[in-house]
Amino acid sequence: MQGSLIDSLARQGITRRAFLKYCAMLASMMALPPSAGRAMAEAMATARRPSVIWLPFQECTGCTESITRSHSPSIEGMIFDLISLDYQETLMAAAGHQAEEALHATMKSNHGKYLLIVDGSIPLGMNGAYSCIAGRSNVDLLKETASGAAAIVAMGSCASYGGIPKANPNPTGAVSVSDLVKDKPIVNIPGCPPIPVVMTGVLAHYLTFGALPELDAKGRPKAFFGETIHDRCYRRPFYDQGKFAKTFDDEGARRGWCLFELGCKGPVTYNACATVKWNGGTSWPVESGHGCLGCSEPDFWDGGSFYKALSMPADPLKLGGAAAVAGAAAGVAVSVANRVKKGAAKASHEKATLADLEK
Amino acid sequence: MSLDAIPVHVVNAGEGGLSGNAPPLLRELLTGVRRLLSDAEPSSIDLTALPLTPADLDWLRDTLGQGEVRVTLDANGESSLDETACPGVWWVTHRNEQGAVVAQFLEVAFVPELVRAQVEDIRIGSAYLESLMSENPSARSTAPYDEEAASCRDL
Repeated sequence: MQGSLIDSLARQGITRRAFLKYCAMLASMMALPPSAGRAMAEAMATARRPSVIWLPFQECTGCTESITRSHSPSIEGMIFDLISLDYQETLMAAAGHQAEEALHATMKSNHGKYLLIVDGSIPLGMNGAYSCIAGRSNVDLLKETASGAAAIVAMGSCASYGGIPKANPNPTGAVSVSDLVKDKPIVNIPGCPPIPVVMTGVLAHYLTFGALPELDAKGRPKAFFGETIHDRCYRRPFYDQGKFAKTFDDEGARRGWCLFELGCKGPVTYNACATVKWNGGTSWPVESGHGCLGCSEPDFWDGGSFYKALSMPADPLKLGGAAAVAGAAAGVAVSVANRVKKGAAKASHEKATLADLEK
Repeated sequence: MSLDAIPVHVVNAGEGGLSGNAPPLLRELLTGVRRLLSDAEPSSIDLTALPLTPADLDWLRDTLGQGEVRVTLDANGESSLDETACPGVWWVTHRNEQGAVVAQFLEVAFVPELVRAQVEDIRIGSAYLESLMSENPSARSTAPYDEEAASCRDL
């Protein structure tokens, strides 16, 4: 595609107003302030499509399955309008030598400028022989493609943290992208699979602002991973009231009470499921009656039973602390002072149990 | 298919499914409205990003009421931009082509920005008007369209 994005959209008969609506929706999905829609529209109008190379390593294709179900922006829309996806084994028509040629041509002509997306972990055991593409090991390929990339997106828990391949006893010696690449900006988008709009949102952010979004200590975009599932959960008021489902078919479960005692990992899991939801905003695990597995946290697979409640607190919360938690959850428009309190409550409530709240 | 087809319904927290998260938004709106009055500065609240239950949203919508203006925007799916009973506060719902709600905002503005015609679109519209004139003999006798003067005017 030649020229700027807005010219190509205008040729397709998409009005500026429709584009503004699209940006407002995108900003909302990306958890940016509503005013960001306007800024995105300005930036995106002059943006050119970045070249994107997507490499699958030791993975199950679940991340690709997920992103192809991204509703708005849809991945088709992004492939044709926003990015130039030059290599993606599952989606591209080319195969064999043709495909490898496309990869090398892209790497050469866009050296230092392309965005590299990786899904899957990288096995180091037996010199990387556990997972090879075109006769070359994953670790070899990663090092070569990463050297010319502007930035790397580690898509999914495997690429971000090693994921299921790395689970005990890690037979293939699987590691994450950030274990191997140290000299490039890396954004981790964990989740098994990650939420589609988080993936497309990060791509859109890179496109509109020309930089990766703000990241937290684990390399995750703060816009989506800034709060726990628990803090944004619509069942949170039941937790504050001490109303818990004890089994999956009791009265409490039917009334939609908190799933904490059934092993929900919401309080220690940072992700956007509670607000963005899944399948185009239809529902999400907790709304479907099952606790959060914590799939976007490092080593979630080895974190003990999915159905065992989070461990007892080392430093039990006092009643005053519990009241502050409830207060912070109820007040949507929290003042700065309340935020400080909330931060303190958040730090301690991850260790709280039902017993403390009922005192 | 809508979720109504599934015979199991989750009961939400509190009285009638209200979580108590909606009433504080009224204060946030008040702050926005005062800022609009004093500095003419618009603002908006992204409802999709807040933990509001369907009952909370219904309560908010009922409480804010219905104003005099209802706008329907047909672009990549239907959007409705409805004034509430508080002038200057707009309930904005964006839907995708499949009709699903993708974003919901409370906008505080004299007119939501999406309602205004955009300069770029007006330029395309003026070219379209020209082409209509060239096809229609009775319109041809007028002076030729001075594009430079026109673009100075709309900037």
